[in-house]
Amino acid sequence: MQLKEKIAAKKFVVLGEFEPPKGADFSSFLKNVNLIRGRVDAFVVPEMANAVLKASSLGGCAFLEREGIGAVLQVCCRDRNRLALQADILSAGALGVKNIMGVTGVDISYGDHPHARTVNDLDILELLDTINKIQGGKDLAGVDLRGTPQFCVGSTVNTGASGGLLEIELENIDKKIDLGVEYLVTNPVFDLRRFQQFVKRMDTERVAVIPTVLLLKSAGMARYIDRNVKGISIPAEMIRDIQKAADKSKECIRIAGETINRLKDIGMAGVLISTVGWEDRLPQILDMAKL
Amino acid sequence: MIVANKKPIEEIIDMVKGYRKLLILGCNECVTVCEAGGKKEVAVLASALRMYFMNEGTKIEIDEVTLERQCDHEYLEEIRNSMDQYDAVVSLACGVGVQFMAEKYFGSPIYPGVNTCFMGVTEERGVWSERCQGCGQCILDRTAGICPISRCAKRLLNGPCGGSTKGKCEISKDLDCAWQIIIDRLKELDRLDDYEEIAPIKDWSTERAGGPRKVVREDVRQ
Repeated sequence: MQLKEKIAAKKFVVLGEFEPPKGADFSSFLKNVNLIRGRVDAFVVPEMANAVLKASSLGGCAFLEREGIGAVLQVCCRDRNRLALQADILSAGALGVKNIMGVTGVDISYGDHPHARTVNDLDILELLDTINKIQGGKDLAGVDLRGTPQFCVGSTVNTGASGGLLEIELENIDKKIDLGVEYLVTNPVFDLRRFQQFVKRMDTERVAVIPTVLLLKSAGMARYIDRNVKGISIPAEMIRDIQKAADKSKECIRIAGETINRLKDIGMAGVLISTVGWEDRLPQILDMAKL
Repeated sequence: MIVANKKPIEEIIDMVKGYRKLLILGCNECVTVCEAGGKKEVAVLASALRMYFMNEGTKIEIDEVTLERQCDHEYLEEIRNSMDQYDAVVSLACGVGVQFMAEKYFGSPIYPGVNTCFMGVTEERGVWSERCQGCGQCILDRTAGICPISRCAKRLLNGPCGGSTKGKCEISKDLDCAWQIIIDRLKELDRLDDYEEIAPIKDWSTERAGGPRKVVREDVRQ
């Protein structure tokens, strides 16, 4: 079942995040994808997450589609202007990619090419509008397209927004839905109580909320995220559990699996499992979550 | 200087309709030189607005003030005591001045009366053209004092593209090819060998890649 149909049927969606390689060798990318082939609904291929140079999302999606595996193309405002973005969207459609996700992109100064020139020709809402127009058969110049791709369109939401930013984020969600977004992927969720407080202010009937479940790798990583990443908090007991565990890697997998199940229990539309480089652990996380 | 262009009057009318007491605030610096927002333009705009609203049968009071600059605290302070009486201000300063006004008079509506265009020169009266994009990493030493970042349509750093014809840019016959001028200058300065050198890949972090910029000079800071 395609992602679009699964969302419409309100069935629990499982997405896997797979970073393309930093290099031209896609062999381990494909090897890891094949480890969980058939167990996830689609693979999200990030577009240079954290502004770190990798092969493109479109490249990763092309590999996946060639293997007959459903992919989610990320299109990012940061590095491409409206011409390049539209060209990628059309190419993705031609390659058989059925899912797309618009993202703003982390600022270039955080990545490994801080001297690069930022593009940001379109902002996220303009990008989603662009996808809409392309799906309507015209490009941004209003010219008819020969062949119109159709996608299941998604974007992101920051459930960690607080204070004045919270209201702005909620307003942006409405704008994104009005622009045709069918699913919203959240930032990594660890603190379910805080997450639920945000979600209860959203109209989950209008959009599928897909929280990201990030595989922690150590107590140090958890502490770092908790202290330094804005909008994400990790419960102290979770960090303590990793610290105390004899097999820390196993404990991190257990936490990820348990988080998935809890998110399922509270009625979320699905999850995106992100392992940032530990894609070979995905089968164990899915086992743990009984998926 | 910062070059600006007057906004169409219809756009300004649209911004200010509904207000009853307006201040049109000019700036005596760059926008005066490029004849977009100085004392003269303040008077012309104020008259045009008065006439428009009178014809509409709308009562509106419009004051005119032109400050020495709108990008320094001290000059903006000059209007502090009178700001309360205005419903809104149309600033004819560049975007810098409009923003500094908005920051300083946080509770007051401030509207832009000009479109800020670029940093440039007066070629002749009525003709201004771009010379600098403020990229934060000046390379004019290598390009014989002519900037390819601001004057080459493609921002090329290693010579002209294939579209340069008879010294003109491919995008317009009215636009000089920056690289033609650079090469002519290098010849004149007997430095054509410099052209052989491949420019290092440009660091844009000093432009906008690093976010909004700030210059902090501890030696002059008070």
